Amino acid sequence: MKKVIEGSHAVSEAVRLARVKVLSAYPITPQTHIVESLSEYCADGSMDARFMCVESEHSAMASVIGAASGGVRTFTASSSHGLALMHELLHWASGARLPIVMAEVNRALGPGWNLWMDQTDSLAQRDTGWIQLYCEDGQEVLDTTIQAYRLAEMVNLPVMVVLDAFFLSHTYEPVNVPDQEQVDRFLPSYVPRIQLDTANPCALNQMAPPPVYMEMRHSTQMAMEQVPRLFKQVEDEFFSIFGRAYGPVETVLCEDAEIVMILTGTAASTCRQVISDLRSKGEKVGLLKLKMFRPFPTELIRKILEPIQKVAVVDRNFSFGASGIFAQEIRAALCNYPEHPPVFGYITGLGGRDVTPEILEDIYWRTRNNATPKAESQWVGLDQEIVES
Amino acid sequence: MMQEIRFHGRGGQGTVMASIALAKAFFKAGYYVQTFPVFGSERRGAPVEAYLRLDKKKILVRSNVYTPDHVVVQDYRLLQTIDVTKGLKPGGWILINSPGLPDDMDNFSGYRLACVDAARIALKHNLGTRTQPIINTAMMGAFARMLGAPPIDTIAEAINNEIPVKQQQNIEAAKDAYEEVQLYGMVDSLQTEGTAQSKHIKNPEKVNLTQVEPQLRRVAS
Amino acid sequence: MTTAQASSDHISLLISRSKISTEINKTGSWCFVRPGYQDRTAPCSAACPVGEDIGRIEMLAVQGLFKKALETILQENPFPAVCGRVCFHPCEGACNRGEFDEPISINKLERFLGDIAFLDGFGPSILNLPNNGKKIAIVGAGPAGLAAAYFLTRLGYVCDVFEAADAPGGLLRWGIPSYRLPSDILENEIQRIQNLGVRIHCGEKLSEDFLIEAKERYQAVFLGCGHGRSTGMNIAGEQMAVDGLKFLYRIRNGEKLPMQGTIAVIGGGNSAIDIARSLIRLGAKPIIVYRRRKQDMPAFEHEIKMALEEGVQIQELLSPVRIDQDGSDYILSLQEMKVGEQDADGRARVVPKDSKTQSLRVNQVFSAIGAEPDEVWKVPPEKIPEILTLSHCTITQQDLPIVFGGDLTNSNKSVTDAVASGKQAAMALDTLFQKGWENINDRLSECRVGNSPALSMEIYMGGDRKNRSRHIVAYNEVNIDYFQPCNRVVSLSVPLQKSICSFDEIDHTLSTTGAMSEAQRCFNCGICNGCDNCRLFCPEVAVTLEDNKRQINFDYCKGCGICVVECPRSAMVIEEKKV
Repeated sequence: MKKVIEGSHAVSEAVRLARVKVLSAYPITPQTHIVESLSEYCADGSMDARFMCVESEHSAMASVIGAASGGVRTFTASSSHGLALMHELLHWASGARLPIVMAEVNRALGPGWNLWMDQTDSLAQRDTGWIQLYCEDGQEVLDTTIQAYRLAEMVNLPVMVVLDAFFLSHTYEPVNVPDQEQVDRFLPSYVPRIQLDTANPCALNQMAPPPVYMEMRHSTQMAMEQVPRLFKQVEDEFFSIFGRAYGPVETVLCEDAEIVMILTGTAASTCRQVISDLRSKGEKVGLLKLKMFRPFPTELIRKILEPIQKVAVVDRNFSFGASGIFAQEIRAALCNYPEHPPVFGYITGLGGRDVTPEILEDIYWRTRNNATPKAESQWVGLDQEIVES
Repeated sequence: MMQEIRFHGRGGQGTVMASIALAKAFFKAGYYVQTFPVFGSERRGAPVEAYLRLDKKKILVRSNVYTPDHVVVQDYRLLQTIDVTKGLKPGGWILINSPGLPDDMDNFSGYRLACVDAARIALKHNLGTRTQPIINTAMMGAFARMLGAPPIDTIAEAINNEIPVKQQQNIEAAKDAYEEVQLYGMVDSLQTEGTAQSKHIKNPEKVNLTQVEPQLRRVAS
Repeated sequence: MTTAQASSDHISLLISRSKISTEINKTGSWCFVRPGYQDRTAPCSAACPVGEDIGRIEMLAVQGLFKKALETILQENPFPAVCGRVCFHPCEGACNRGEFDEPISINKLERFLGDIAFLDGFGPSILNLPNNGKKIAIVGAGPAGLAAAYFLTRLGYVCDVFEAADAPGGLLRWGIPSYRLPSDILENEIQRIQNLGVRIHCGEKLSEDFLIEAKERYQAVFLGCGHGRSTGMNIAGEQMAVDGLKFLYRIRNGEKLPMQGTIAVIGGGNSAIDIARSLIRLGAKPIIVYRRRKQDMPAFEHEIKMALEEGVQIQELLSPVRIDQDGSDYILSLQEMKVGEQDADGRARVVPKDSKTQSLRVNQVFSAIGAEPDEVWKVPPEKIPEILTLSHCTITQQDLPIVFGGDLTNSNKSVTDAVASGKQAAMALDTLFQKGWENINDRLSECRVGNSPALSMEIYMGGDRKNRSRHIVAYNEVNIDYFQPCNRVVSLSVPLQKSICSFDEIDHTLSTTGAMSEAQRCFNCGICNGCDNCRLFCPEVAVTLEDNKRQINFDYCKGCGICVVECPRSAMVIEEKKV
């Protein structure tokens, strides 16, 4: 049924429909609405699940790791500093090959204290072995969360469903909330490959000395490499039931485009409008929406970008001393191609700064009017008065 | 054509809730909607903003609203500190919760003005207290009348679903405001010189002139 | 370690997983030291004149096992409610917790357990041996005599107690004011002794001839008749002073004795304090006159403090030289004294300060400088071949074994030392009958609590306590990481303005929750309370728990000693493995 709900509640509805058994989280703006409603579901009986109250995000992740090792479906959510505090255990969750699903609401890290949209928090966790899926609107958040369980349980890897603070988490819009029966059809009950059993005791994840550690890491990568293929399988099944699919990347008007803009999250949605406006002015511009960041869909991206003349990557994040993180990854994906388009990197929308249609148009024109990038990243929308003060 | 509405209110006035309930009412009436608050360090009484986008097709733009088509002001006293007309498109409606015409309307020329005494209506229906009336549902009713949409029935339904307490009183308040809202129409930019008394309202389209009271009460600032 | 690889849909899944236990690896063969469970002696119990097993008593109290806790006291002392009020509690001075924050209120806890026995009507069950046919005569129904009768009866003897007064209790009944020891408390505890079968014959003042008659009817005699006569001051006008002990007796006997004006009380012992505090209650203004300094007074510190709070004055370094009458007043002439060298027992000797005297005009003079035996046969003889002098009694064996005990022999004249005397006498006599005169010292020595002279009847009778190590746990052997600082319990008391108007008891007994939380503070030095740290910390999982008993599996114990270190209460030891 289509309902006007908040982005956060799209996550909560999905987690309820996925029949998650153990939840644990520590509140942090802008993630709180997600677990707030889930705790109500647990309390009022609309979810048959245990909500574990903990004293920190580190403990929240430790709790779901424990529960997942017991062989049940688990969920947690966090943001920014909370995610950073989980960092150590993010490695553990993936190394232990546990299919945990987490909603991560992109928020800036302090100082200066900032509650707003910024992708650096989730991108700083890119090497932890988690699958990362970035979402554009409420519907995609709900669908991706349900899919995430299917995918995680197929490959035994944890999945992070990423959504923008406020622009998505706190925005109400129509979302089709599926029936439980439909979801059950798509997502059968969990059959764990890893499960502690008191009747048949064993120790998990004890010492892995040099002769085996590398093989274990290789094994995780082998599973990661299967993700794009399996994600397609998951999406095909999802489509057959719900009629919606997103893909690891989505292209809009790229076939004949000279310039392709690469975006993630809600800014990708705004960019759809911009592309449409520019097209009506005769500009040959396309959009590549990047949904899957880990594993990085290198092959797909190469294929799409190979014939393109210029690529403009919009990063709402920054790696200090380097450049925007998505731009880095795109460059890395292309560099082994003898012929590849120049990659223009743009930094904008940090710490909740709005990414307006005007800014995206500006980025387009900058790319259009320069043969090669002036720098690895150009900062768009800086207030020169503050910069020079 | 997409319409953007900006709400000005105070923390604790139910501004965000009103924008959500209105969104749901519009959704019922067949619109695609998008609404979100401007999230800051809110506290009770501090100015807050929320945005509402309406369209007949899916809304793609997800940035803040800078050039609203209409604005809603949940408390006339906010006019002293906030330029509610900032970015407002010419001819846009300004709906103000106010017992009468505001004192200073210099900025309003070129816009259409509507006023409703939502506080009085709220108190009549026992919503909130004299010092803190709950005016958001009355404002929804007035809003529906001002724009001619959504239908008052969808407003009533949204209130029924969204407001956790006193649904009937809230619906009555919305309906009263729907009836009582004063739609003054376009403020004449040519006649805003001199004292406030000299300003007058040009005949607006869609406005039944008999609704305009002969003696316009002034609001003490 | 092993790794396990599962496969589903060709997804590689390699994690470390092991189903193999470490059982094959018998690390015990590597061990060169062995830990072991060894309950040890708590310093409080070694300091207790009767050697009560205090660490264990508090452990049982924490668990709410009040009856068991009471029985543990009764193993060593028939008077918990009495001693819980009047004991000078050297245990608390020895308490290891005192170094951490404040000592455990052992005395208040003993009182709580003593009182709850009667409130809850416990019928304590402790080991008593069957009647062995031997009869013992006991002279004096004070704390020493009653304790001797109590312990001898438990050892199977039939005891007749002869008491000159018309009710039993001795000093407990006549010498201690009721605001410190109400008579119903005393009567309850005496009744419990009588319930064992002890026969008390009151109003029977015996003469020396009794020792001859007794040979026919008894196998031994215990003399615990105390000091019946006040010590003289040897000063002019002494006959004008009131005998303090007789005064206390008259009050306890129910006489109404209104007092007024200023009254000098000569002496510095507990009796002097009791007399002064009783005088306050009767309306007088007492002044204690003591020849040494206040800190040298033999009275208990707590009692002196209470007396001062109640308004008793103490004038120190004044030695009475004469008493004169002046109309209805008395003039007490006093030699001023000064502190000289220390004497043998460490107390400062006092000597006259030039020839300076002063006089004190008072309405009455009371003397309370001590007491002595009233008849010479009650003094242990000297220079006879068959005589054995122990810490708390002296045994002679001429025709009939006679034990001199209580105040007759004790250097420390306290109620608890009197009980200790009765217990020592009982053990000595039993050993005499069982094993002969020459084995008394050795047998008693086996029953010592730690290194102290205190003896344990539980050890003597072969109870679990005999397995306890003599080692006294020191503060640095307690693992204080496991304890949180916490102030000791404070008992409620009657406000001063009210308490000095009556002879009603001043302090209240602890509440059950107060007692349990106070007992919780106890380190239980050297006594395993089953905290399970040894088992939880053992890295080899070599500690097993079955039927609430912990054991170390030496197949795996590698002697790391973590269990010993993590034992909060030093109830474990580690020693080199015997080859």
